[in-house]
Amino acid sequence: MVMRNGALAEKREAEPAETCDLQALAVLASNGDRLAFAQLVAVQYDFIFRTAWRWTRHREMAEDVAQGVCMKLGQSIRNWRGEGAFSTWLYRLVVNAANDAHRARQRENRKTEGYLNYAVSAAIEVVEPHSDSPTDELWEHVSQLPEKQRTAVMLVYGEGLSHGEAAGVMEIAESTVSFHLHEARKQLKAMFEKERAR
Amino acid sequence: MKMEDRLRSLASGSSAEPSQTAREAAISAAMTAFEKAGEEKKPAATQGSGFAGRLISSATRNWSDFMTRNRLATSTALATVLIVPLAGYLTWTVTGQQSPLEITSEIGRDIAGPEAEPEAKKDKQADAPKEQEVAVIAQAPLADVAQPQVHAAPPAGTLFRGLAKTASERQTRSFSMDGALAQKPASSLPSPIPFPNPDRDRAAAPENRDRIQAVSDNPLKIVKEEPVSTFSADVDTASYSLMRRALNEGRLPDPESVRVEELVNYFPYDWQGPDSAETPFKANVTVMPTPWNKDTQILHIAVKGYDIKAAQRPQANLVFLLDVSGSMNAPDKLPLLKSAFKLLIDKLQPEDTVSIVTYAGNAGTVLEPTKASEKARIIAAMDALEPGGSTAGASGIEEAYRLAERAFVKGGVNRVMLATDGDFNVGPMDDASLKRLIEKKRESGVFLSVFGFGEGNYNDQLMQVLAQNGNGVAAYIDTLAEAEKTLVQEAGSSLFPIASDVKFQIEFNPARVAEYRQIGFETRALKREDFNNDKIDAGDIGSGHSVTAIYEIVPVGSAAVSVSDLRYGEKPAEPANASSEIAFVKMRAKRPGEVKSELTEMAVTDGNVLPALNEAPEDVRFSLAVAAFGQKLRKTQAVSDYGYDAIGEMASQSRGSDPFGYRAEFLKLVRLAGALDR
Repeated sequence: MVMRNGALAEKREAEPAETCDLQALAVLASNGDRLAFAQLVAVQYDFIFRTAWRWTRHREMAEDVAQGVCMKLGQSIRNWRGEGAFSTWLYRLVVNAANDAHRARQRENRKTEGYLNYAVSAAIEVVEPHSDSPTDELWEHVSQLPEKQRTAVMLVYGEGLSHGEAAGVMEIAESTVSFHLHEARKQLKAMFEKERAR
Repeated sequence: MKMEDRLRSLASGSSAEPSQTAREAAISAAMTAFEKAGEEKKPAATQGSGFAGRLISSATRNWSDFMTRNRLATSTALATVLIVPLAGYLTWTVTGQQSPLEITSEIGRDIAGPEAEPEAKKDKQADAPKEQEVAVIAQAPLADVAQPQVHAAPPAGTLFRGLAKTASERQTRSFSMDGALAQKPASSLPSPIPFPNPDRDRAAAPENRDRIQAVSDNPLKIVKEEPVSTFSADVDTASYSLMRRALNEGRLPDPESVRVEELVNYFPYDWQGPDSAETPFKANVTVMPTPWNKDTQILHIAVKGYDIKAAQRPQANLVFLLDVSGSMNAPDKLPLLKSAFKLLIDKLQPEDTVSIVTYAGNAGTVLEPTKASEKARIIAAMDALEPGGSTAGASGIEEAYRLAERAFVKGGVNRVMLATDGDFNVGPMDDASLKRLIEKKRESGVFLSVFGFGEGNYNDQLMQVLAQNGNGVAAYIDTLAEAEKTLVQEAGSSLFPIASDVKFQIEFNPARVAEYRQIGFETRALKREDFNNDKIDAGDIGSGHSVTAIYEIVPVGSAAVSVSDLRYGEKPAEPANASSEIAFVKMRAKRPGEVKSELTEMAVTDGNVLPALNEAPEDVRFSLAVAAFGQKLRKTQAVSDYGYDAIGEMASQSRGSDPFGYRAEFLKLVRLAGALDR
């Protein structure tokens, strides 16, 4: 499976050998090869950080998530046994980490602002100031979606994966991804309508 | 704006660039975690394969720890810059390996492409003094630990520069994978620093309990003493998948598990086949210079079976005998098996029947013989399979044969298809009596094919024996793509035999050939007298199947002749016409269902000889590359001077159209093996 991994995307799609390269590096690393692991992290850090940033829209959070993913990678690369694409597995790490950070942020907000406010303002207030391009309004709504829906939306629209690839990352059936996307679009539409009504 | 288009803008908001500080901190933290995990996990490194489930739960479990720790690290910027790289540096010095920091920038440049280069350079310059500083600080605490190599080490600056160079050399050598295998980079000198990797070896070795029969290479034969080579045609491919799996996991396959003929015959080749079913198969013979030895020649015999058109196919009665024991509970086992057999069901014709028997604890019939037209029922039965219990192979196999006999199609294909992850626990039955059972059933017309799944416990040897005695193929399925290849692309050849007990006998002309060595087919060798004995079982050729056999021959008078003439030996009588004949090829095969074999003969003459390797057809050259690779993995001496890069070059030049990408995958495996074998 060819996956779009941030900066490497174009190069890899043009030359399938690059995918092998990453996979081979990962395989060597998973067997405890230190040099290969160092290369792997060095090559993948930018991808990890950029993905984390797209999922958090917050530099510090993204850096924390990325560093956590790197440590997690070091801890568990030996458990990865070469089944499936490494990029899928790495995506899974990043997505889980980003979702965990998101949950932690939500918990914090809930504590400080109380449950009633949560529906309107969770996960947004602490975010870096940003311009009000349509993406940001949209992003705020997206971040309020239930986790599965949000993950599916971010993977398919934010990361540009196919439904099948997203299904691989989320470890659910492809049809379930499509279902989550459908539900997410419905909810987002409702959110935008509510906004307009106000 | 439509929601769909609106959502697409989520991708465009990625303006943040990673900061160098955070990047370095993260990488160092990763290295530390990697080291630590290596210390803790060494004995259990390759245990278990259900990585997915475990991964998620542990990610969630450990996450809160990370968050607390990371917040500390990022809030005290100074500490991050100094302490974490220091930790990385210490680990490096102690283990005598390369610094993660230096590698970072080198690799970043190599892989991210030219546009990233200036940035990486700048970073390196900025880092250089910092690293020196760190190294100096590092001396103090280490002195207490008394690490002699630290004191002996040259000043950090030079050290790092030297290492950086090595790192980039290694990088170019092992991972420049853009098809440029041909041009060996100028910098690819042997690395001055040995790079021992105990982890890799230790991690791979102890867990693998696959049972694989050890076979030594076919020896060099002297034509005057043994002019005849006899073997059974067989087209198993399990060895290829096992080899691929090993390489993809970052280790070289066990040399003894590599069967060269299975590697060669894994690939579809476009050999010229017979025009009608009257002649079941046709041989294409080429003689050409050996790629890995200028003094010898290759005798390449490619046989293609007649391809039965779908309409002419006999009706099939298939019994799936599926292992659903607890050990099959892994993503690459039962779920893959289900998907694989569903692919096969799609390929069947409405009148064909399918039955399903499981063996685990109590062997049971899951599906009585059912017409393939009732596809939904078959698939539902397949989906309902759950792993559990221990394997009880023998009663399952008896039940499967019982069902196969019940739905027996006279003149059709009656086949038990056994799928298992390995140790076929046969209960009260030992391997020999199981073999006898399969042989007995073969006589009655029910054949057996074996499909292996998973790894760690795989009994390759028994599977081979079972399939060879059951007139079937043994294939190893590690990916859905492989299942596609074995069960769908090659369904015709694995299900519909067009010739059975196919034997080859090659007689070399001592006036032309001094010595010969058969490449592969070690386990298929037959006695010379077995060739004409129709009671001796041999391999089957299926519809559209091809079999390729390769000999390395030493012409008379060549510099490579290893044995000199006997002083008291007789001069062999020269047969008439001997000078133009190099060898004589005989093939014997039975048509399906017949007892008497038919003989096909052809002489290999000067007309088959090509003066140069590159005049040979692409498929011939590719199969030679595969043969060279197989021998390389087997550590065969003949190819010891022939490198992986040469193999890769030969394979990439003869790749052809490669519609299914098998050959591209082979190229990848050659590169991977080249990187691992040093």
